[in-house]
Amino acid sequence: MASRGLINLAQATEAALIVAAQARDQAAFSELVKRRQGWARALLRKMCRSHAEADDLAQEAFIKAWDRLRDLETPAAFPGWFRRIAVTTFLMAKRKQKAIFEEIDDASPIASEDSTPEAAAGAKIDLEKALARLSDAERLCVTLNHGEGLSHSEIVDITGLPLGTVKSHVLRGTEKLRRMLEPAT
Amino acid sequence: MNDFNALLTRSFAEAHDEPADDGFTVKVGHTVARQEFANKIRNTAYATGMAAAGACILYGAYTFAGAFGQDFLATAGLEVARAHGAMSSAPTVSIAAQGLLQSLGAGMTQILLITGVLAGGAVAYRSVQE
Repeated sequence: MASRGLINLAQATEAALIVAAQARDQAAFSELVKRRQGWARALLRKMCRSHAEADDLAQEAFIKAWDRLRDLETPAAFPGWFRRIAVTTFLMAKRKQKAIFEEIDDASPIASEDSTPEAAAGAKIDLEKALARLSDAERLCVTLNHGEGLSHSEIVDITGLPLGTVKSHVLRGTEKLRRMLEPAT
Repeated sequence: MNDFNALLTRSFAEAHDEPADDGFTVKVGHTVARQEFANKIRNTAYATGMAAAGACILYGAYTFAGAFGQDFLATAGLEVARAHGAMSSAPTVSIAAQGLLQSLGAGMTQILLITGVLAGGAVAYRSVQE
């Protein structure tokens, strides 16, 4: 019975897993976490400076998702719904640390340690290192805008920050990244 | 700047650095299981508390009825009769009102006792809910 359940879970669609998890099926939720943990942790790692902190927040976000899963109206909305929970968890953690408006003005260019012709051509940039040098709010807004493809108004909707603030964070964050990542001459 | 925006967006898209599942799922699963267990215990304690509060109220009401029920009914009946008599046979309105007030005063002890029991029950119910 248990093995049949495992096979079913492994073969189940995400929508089926979500519906089962909404009915408080812990195994289905675990399978959902297994499938989505990489995406969720990567998203939070872009927002946080440390991987450990990001993983802790991802865990907290999944627990919140489990508690609120009944509020999710359609399984198709899960990614956006979970992203909102992840962002809220991040913001709450930062507000607890009183660090959300911390400004980091270090926009000196990042010296490339392992310079390759490809890197020199600007095909790939060391995002993680550069993002870590932005303020929390700038990093959040730039990640949601460029990384998740959200519009300014969608970021306002998720974060609760004023539109002007979001625009300013995206602009300043992007400008800082440009200055940090421009090829060293 | 527009070129850089495009490069930035492309770089985000190309950054496929999704971490492998290094026990993360198991950790979340354990936390969820622990939380569900704690919820079950809390729900059981809540139901037990509610049942105990209900039993207390019923027991109090039963004891009260046993001790004062007959007395109360007799007094209430008598007072109603007196009030009725005072109103129907009173020569003036003021005498009738005096009789009614006397009747109410005589029944006040019982009314206060019942109110006290109901308030106590409500307090117990609320504290169990909290």
